Amino acid sequence: MLLRPRREDHLVIGKYTGKIVIGIGFLMVVPLLTSIAFGEWDTVVDFVISISLCMAFGYGTQAVCRTDRDLGWSHGLVVASSSWLVATAIGAMPHWLSGHMGSYLDAMFDVMSGYTTTGLYLMQDLDHIAHGLNMWRHLLTYAGGQGIVVIALTFLFKGAAGAYTVYVGEGKDERLLPNVVQTARAIWLVSLLWLAVGALALAITGLALGQEPVRAVLHGLWVYMGAWSTGGFAPQSYNTFYYHSLAYELIAIVVMIAGSFNFALHWAVWTGKRREVVRNIETLSFAVTLSLTVLVATFALARAGVYSDAMVLFRKVFYQLVSGHTTTGFSTIYARAWVTQWGPIGLMVTTIAMAIGASACSTGGGIKGIRMGVISRAFMQDVRRMVSPERAMVTAKYHHLRDQLLDDSLVRTTMTITIAYLSLYGLMAVIGTLYGYDFLEAAYEGVSAASNTGLSCGVTAPTMPDALKVLYIIAMWLGRLEFMSVFALGGYAFAMVRGRR
Amino acid sequence: MSRLVPRCPGVRVILAVNLLIALVPGCAHAAASGVAPRTSTELVASPAEFDGEAVAFTGEVIGESMERGDMAWLHLNDDAYRDRNVEEGAPLGGYNSGMAVWIPAEAASTVVTFGDHAHEGDVVRISGTFNAACPEHGGDMDIHASSLEVVTPGHRVDDPVDPGKVVWAIVLSMAALVAFLADRLRARAEDTRGM
Repeated sequence: MLLRPRREDHLVIGKYTGKIVIGIGFLMVVPLLTSIAFGEWDTVVDFVISISLCMAFGYGTQAVCRTDRDLGWSHGLVVASSSWLVATAIGAMPHWLSGHMGSYLDAMFDVMSGYTTTGLYLMQDLDHIAHGLNMWRHLLTYAGGQGIVVIALTFLFKGAAGAYTVYVGEGKDERLLPNVVQTARAIWLVSLLWLAVGALALAITGLALGQEPVRAVLHGLWVYMGAWSTGGFAPQSYNTFYYHSLAYELIAIVVMIAGSFNFALHWAVWTGKRREVVRNIETLSFAVTLSLTVLVATFALARAGVYSDAMVLFRKVFYQLVSGHTTTGFSTIYARAWVTQWGPIGLMVTTIAMAIGASACSTGGGIKGIRMGVISRAFMQDVRRMVSPERAMVTAKYHHLRDQLLDDSLVRTTMTITIAYLSLYGLMAVIGTLYGYDFLEAAYEGVSAASNTGLSCGVTAPTMPDALKVLYIIAMWLGRLEFMSVFALGGYAFAMVRGRR
Repeated sequence: MSRLVPRCPGVRVILAVNLLIALVPGCAHAAASGVAPRTSTELVASPAEFDGEAVAFTGEVIGESMERGDMAWLHLNDDAYRDRNVEEGAPLGGYNSGMAVWIPAEAASTVVTFGDHAHEGDVVRISGTFNAACPEHGGDMDIHASSLEVVTPGHRVDDPVDPGKVVWAIVLSMAALVAFLADRLRARAEDTRGM
């Protein structure tokens, strides 16, 4: 029986949601300064409006919802899921004010896509948008990759004991350090180091490719943010195809893969445990499934004769599949080329890679490598049980930071989330098909949204039905938060109406 | 996500009408030179059909010219914003759409204005060979062009501040200040009670 939430519950949720929205307001200062630097005065006003709205909402909510009570487990989950919704609604303001969006729903679509590091977009005439707005697009995907709650934890929570529940609610459950605020700061430390190296490498390459210095630096920063966050946004409509450069693609591949790895793995390497990279179940799982999908796609495209040269074929296949598997969404082919050149097998293989996705506690989405690893180990354990004598004790282990015993409760939890993802993928495919899209294309696009990848074969468009846009927004949100905190928000809403007093 | 060619019929119609209007002089030129004018929508929809074919293509040059030795990359958009972009008040007409063009750097140097937030780029017409998956350029879909002609020079785009937005900015800034002060005052009052 659910208990009806009391006034104190609403206050604690309002207070922490307000803090997170204030964090979003502070984040908007970066694109504001960018627009000032480039003299984009209309965009400056857009950001002043948006920042003011964030601050009015955030401080207003804090003022109304004053309480000393700390976050409980359910509060944390509800704060995580509700703050993503509020942050999307308010964060969409600069997009909408820019005049490049067909509706406020389209603006919310793009912002949810950014926060969830998906990369699908409905923005029109992207090639003429302001630098400030481009900075905001990439910054929100970079911030979303770290987790917008992580940002608030880092700067605004000041050691609240219940903060861990919000952190978990955002789909992250690794404590790199004993204190969750220290963990959030450690995540930032890792990300900022990669930012310095990755953005610099891309900027230097951009200069060598013939870009002007200012554009090379901005593109380097933005493409880095898109790659590290596994978001897939890029400053031009041509995405990374714009650069026509193997070097640029190689750097992007390294950053995409690094961004898709578990922050705990990064931290282990950071603290000297380098062998973790080759022992961890997630990296092994990623290596196996990436190799298999690349192999199948290479074979299929070679048979189709799309690419005449073997190296060219491998370069195209490897780049698109690393992008799909890490749930980044960068591509060096046209959206419709997935259909007109890659064909049904190419679409299917990429859909599978996107569905599996990146590592847990990373910037990426999808079912996650650790779940694939645990399920395959459990499967092997069951096979061994069947062929072993009845009395034999068959145990299995996996390595994630340390050797861990595979027990039935872990397998059950893993299967629950995996089935939830598969159901969501299936639902997206069926609904897309009911709207008149080809089944394979609907499945590809639906999985891309729900796994927070962002590759598109052309289904996502400003003219797609509004109901489908709403469905995609929900799928991106569910996929990123891994269901539980969204279910908790649903339960909270239900308890408000039907809960016992 | 590489998003260059709209799939929906409505946007395609808008694009087609725009391109039809824009390509009238282009058609005359193309007919004279014996090269068929093509759109990015056509080329991406049926790459195998046009692979290796001599094509003429007209579009707004966006971004920059990326020179690589004697050659350069240009990106030509033939979308709804080819002659007037959203910042200038053009109605929304779907995603950007265009083609990558590999061209001698000398020809590329005739382009003066490149399309971005502050500029509507030169509209140029090129002719060359379409490659569905260019082996020379890592399988990219591109056009290897031999000639370039500026059809319409680009121009600077002014994006004046909307006075209505300024009013909203002032009102909301005041609201944010009031909310901030209310929060601080309540916090101070609680601290005083706690003492």
